[in-house]
Amino acid sequence: MDLERAFTGIIAITRHSFKKLVFSRKAVITLLIAVFVAVVMGYAGAQDVDPLPDGTDMLDTLILFFFMPVMAMIYGASLIRDEIDDKSITHVATAPLDRAFSYVGYYIPLASAVAVSMFVVTTAGFLAFFAQNDLGGEALEVYLEFTVLVTVGAFVYSALFLAVGVLFKKPMFFGLFYAFIWEGFIGSLPGAIQKFSVKYYLRSVGSGWVDYGRMSTFEEASDPLGSGLVLLGLLIVFVVLGAYLFRETELT
Amino acid sequence: MGPNGAGKSTLFKLALGLIRPSTGTISVLGQKPWGNPGLHSSIGFCPDYESLPSESTGREYLSLVGGLHAMKGATLSARIVEVSHLVEMNRALDRKIGGYSKGMKQRMKIAGALLHDPDMLILDEPLSGTDPLVRREIIDLIKRLNKENGHDVVVSSHVLFEIERMTHDVVLIYKGRAVATGDISEIRDLIDKHPHNIIIEGENIGVLAKALLDEGSTVSVSYNDGRKGITVQVSRPDDFFNRLPDLIVQSGTSVTKMYSLDENLEAIFRYLVGR
Repeated sequence: MDLERAFTGIIAITRHSFKKLVFSRKAVITLLIAVFVAVVMGYAGAQDVDPLPDGTDMLDTLILFFFMPVMAMIYGASLIRDEIDDKSITHVATAPLDRAFSYVGYYIPLASAVAVSMFVVTTAGFLAFFAQNDLGGEALEVYLEFTVLVTVGAFVYSALFLAVGVLFKKPMFFGLFYAFIWEGFIGSLPGAIQKFSVKYYLRSVGSGWVDYGRMSTFEEASDPLGSGLVLLGLLIVFVVLGAYLFRETELT
Repeated sequence: MGPNGAGKSTLFKLALGLIRPSTGTISVLGQKPWGNPGLHSSIGFCPDYESLPSESTGREYLSLVGGLHAMKGATLSARIVEVSHLVEMNRALDRKIGGYSKGMKQRMKIAGALLHDPDMLILDEPLSGTDPLVRREIIDLIKRLNKENGHDVVVSSHVLFEIERMTHDVVLIYKGRAVATGDISEIRDLIDKHPHNIIIEGENIGVLAKALLDEGSTVSVSYNDGRKGITVQVSRPDDFFNRLPDLIVQSGTSVTKMYSLDENLEAIFRYLVGR
């Protein structure tokens, strides 16, 4: 396979899919979530709070560990599946481009769109809470740390849910189970079981950076660097698995 | 050519490597299609279903297809203009595909299939759902693509007369099997040898029924439900159709509807496979 040819193909799919994601109804969901987060954090910020730990916990609970996987599921689980179902995948499937490369062309815009969405939501929540209390250097540091964490989370969860969209004909059922039951419940249980969630490794990475709130005192955390490598490994495994499944999928 | 459900689209999906053969092998231009994306450089495909991104303009769609075929820059832009002229869609290039008519969408799909100048074009039911005017335009386009532009074109259809206007080389498919191959006129002859069933509906149909019974080409005449129409079985369709206008005039019948059951490919194929 000519690499320049593959690169041109990936760019074409990336451009098309990014536009499709950003200008779709899903962008409205991002705005609604941003407004919701801003209202909740704005209200919380107006109460009697200890700004840095409480604000950090709000960002931790509301954004990183609830909306992060939900947003990746909403964007990712349907991206390729919808095109398979409505058959608009045909022009990609009949192009002289290995489907593994095509898959990368879907993954890059998906992870970018989820990262941008989560950046918008994080910024809205951060400003709504900290603007009322403290927008100093420490708060901005917390903002920067969470921005990096949601970006990392966006890339890992997107890899997971894109593969789920290829694997399952009704990916939303699995997506809902995973986002709410597995990540939300199993990932919060004490003991070793939580190590089977992405959330645990994100929190472990965060525990090495964040100086405030529960994340800074996360006792069961693994080594931040090791956790970062696990997340990288998961990302690679999910992308490779998804690309393999996409290659082997019959498009009837 | 084959009736609905015969396996035409499945054959194309196999030829394009979209599905894997469960038995046997398939070779297209000397290569196996499954897991061989390189083969798509030589093939342009126009599916029988809606596959265009409705939120994109025609130009954006063709740019995407061009990018997938490693075309870019000025070469791609020039090719988009060239192909859109060929399919007469140049004026609609910057309109959203969602606002296109059925015929425009068909032409845009053909433009997408043609963009990379493939050796072979596969057009799956390109005329389905189009009005007679668009149908004629697309038939002319397909003929032009073959005669003037040198593309080998494989077209599927379940409508005999449409295929006749495009080519004489046909393969008849029925229930996943090729039942006849060759010149369409030979198939026509075969069809003409077996009795045709023709439905005629209209006012004063009884008089016409009596007149038809006196004709040598008529095998039988029977009334349909409600006696508003008749089913005429004829042994020599050409003689029957030559005589019919005179008989209608002489009997004073006002014909409102007439169609041949045997134009339905299902009937023809049942006959060809001896069922």
